[in-house]
Amino acid sequence: MLFLSIDETDLHYSMDLCFAGAGCDLRTNSSCLARGLERLSLSTGDTVPGGFKMRVVVDESSDEGAGEPHFRGLRHVVTASFGRSNVFVFDILRRTLSASVSTALARDERFWKEKLIPITLGVLGAAMGLVPVHCACLELDGDGLLIAGVSGAGKSTLSVALSEDGFNYVSDDWTYISRRRNEIVAHGTSAPVKLLPDAVEHFRRLQGHSLQRSMNGELAYEVDIAEAFGARVERACEPRWLVFLERTQEAGAVFAPISSAEARSYVNSSVERLPLQLPEAIAMREQTIERVAMLPGWRFRYGGTPQFAAKELREFVVHRRQEIYV
Amino acid sequence: MTEEPCWHPDLLRRFVPTPYVFSKGVGPSRLIVESNDLEIALSVRRAGIVYRNRNRPGRLLCKLIRDVAGPVDGSGITIVSDGAIRVLYLGRGTILIHDHERSELFGFIARNVKVEELTSSLIPALLNAWANTKSTQLLLQRSDKGHIAC
Repeated sequence: MLFLSIDETDLHYSMDLCFAGAGCDLRTNSSCLARGLERLSLSTGDTVPGGFKMRVVVDESSDEGAGEPHFRGLRHVVTASFGRSNVFVFDILRRTLSASVSTALARDERFWKEKLIPITLGVLGAAMGLVPVHCACLELDGDGLLIAGVSGAGKSTLSVALSEDGFNYVSDDWTYISRRRNEIVAHGTSAPVKLLPDAVEHFRRLQGHSLQRSMNGELAYEVDIAEAFGARVERACEPRWLVFLERTQEAGAVFAPISSAEARSYVNSSVERLPLQLPEAIAMREQTIERVAMLPGWRFRYGGTPQFAAKELREFVVHRRQEIYV
Repeated sequence: MTEEPCWHPDLLRRFVPTPYVFSKGVGPSRLIVESNDLEIALSVRRAGIVYRNRNRPGRLLCKLIRDVAGPVDGSGITIVSDGAIRVLYLGRGTILIHDHERSELFGFIARNVKVEELTSSLIPALLNAWANTKSTQLLLQRSDKGHIAC
C-alpha cells in the first residue's frame, strides 16, 4: 500500500498565481513545477473573490507520463487520474486541489496548460462563481464579444480572423465568466489556439508551423496566437454580445436575434450539474449564467471564408456599438 | 433556433440513483448507507461500522456506487491524504473518499471488486489511515461477530 500524505510543511515552493481571474495559492515540493506554473499564470485586475489552493506532491520515484484520464465525482469531491501515478483530488467546498504526480508529469507544461488548469477552473470555479462557457471571446475597444457554437462550427478560425481584423484576442474555445457587481467579466487562459489542418488554406502564416497530435488525439496546429499571428491578447474583458455561430454551404451572412432562454440553455449545456451539497456554488453559478443569458444575442449564419465572416461580424459589432452610444 | 430542453452532462457519474438506503444504529452512532447496488448496501450495513470521531461515537453517511463503466485495472492500493480528505484508490476504478470533518464516506467500486473486499479490506484501510491523526481516533478491528469498530 502506498500512502501519500500531503503535508504543507514539506512543500517548500510557494507562489501566488492567477488563472483566468482565479487566484491560486500554490505549494509544491518541486521547483520545476512551480516555475512551469508561474509561466502559465496570467495576472489580471479582475480577480474573482476567494481563489483556490493547489497542493502538489511530486513523487521523485515515479516517471510515468500522463496516462488515460479517468474522472469521477460525488458530493463535494471530484477525482481525476491520469495513470496510476498521477492523481488529483478536487475539494469544491474547501476550494482545494490536492495532487500527487510523477516527475514526468511535473515537467509536462503542455499537460498543465491544456488539461489540468482548464479542468481545475471547470471544477473549482463553481465555488468561486467562475463559469466555464464553451465559446470564444474577442474584444474591440473595451467591448467583449462571446462567440458560441458547437465543436467544428469555426470558433477558432473566426477568432484568428477577427484578431487579424483588429479585435483583441481573449480565448478561442473555453471562456471563464465571473460576475463583478452587476457586470460580467470574461477571462481567457494561456492555452494555445487550436486550428484544424484545413486552416492553412485561410492562414498562410501557418505554413511555418507543423501539425501536432493534440491532447484529444486530433491532428491540429496549436500555436500561440500572439507569436503566430501577431494578435494582441487581452486577459479579460466585459462581454456585451453573444453570437451563436453556424456555418452553411450558401455564401453570405445572416444575423437573427435569439432569446435569452436559448442562450441560457446553451450555457447550461456546457457545465456539469452540481450536487445539492453545494447550494452556494449552485446559486453563484445560476446568477452568472443568468447574466450571460441576458446579453443581447444573435445567431450568425455564414458561408464563406473566415476572413469574410470576420468582416461581417466586425461591421455588425461596430453598428451595434453605434446603437448603444446613440 | 428552437429552444431545446436544458441538457446537463453527468460525466462524473455524480447523479447515479442510489435507491438502496439503509440505516443502522440510533442517535449519534448512526450509520446511513446509500448505494445503487443492493449487495453493497446490505454488506456495508452488516459490517457494523461503528464510527468514532474525536473519541466520540459519530454518525457516518456512506454513499457507494457500483461503477460498471469504470476501468478494471491494478491491484495496488494508494491512499492520498490532505487535510480533511483522504482518498483510497484501488487501481484506477475503485475510489473511496473519506471526509472526516463532514463524517462522510463515498466513492465508486469497480465491477471486479467483491463486497467482502470492500468491507473487510478497503473501508478499514481508508478509515485506519486516520489512526495517527490528532483530531480523530479511529481504531479499526474486526470483532468476533464480524463487525468493524472504527
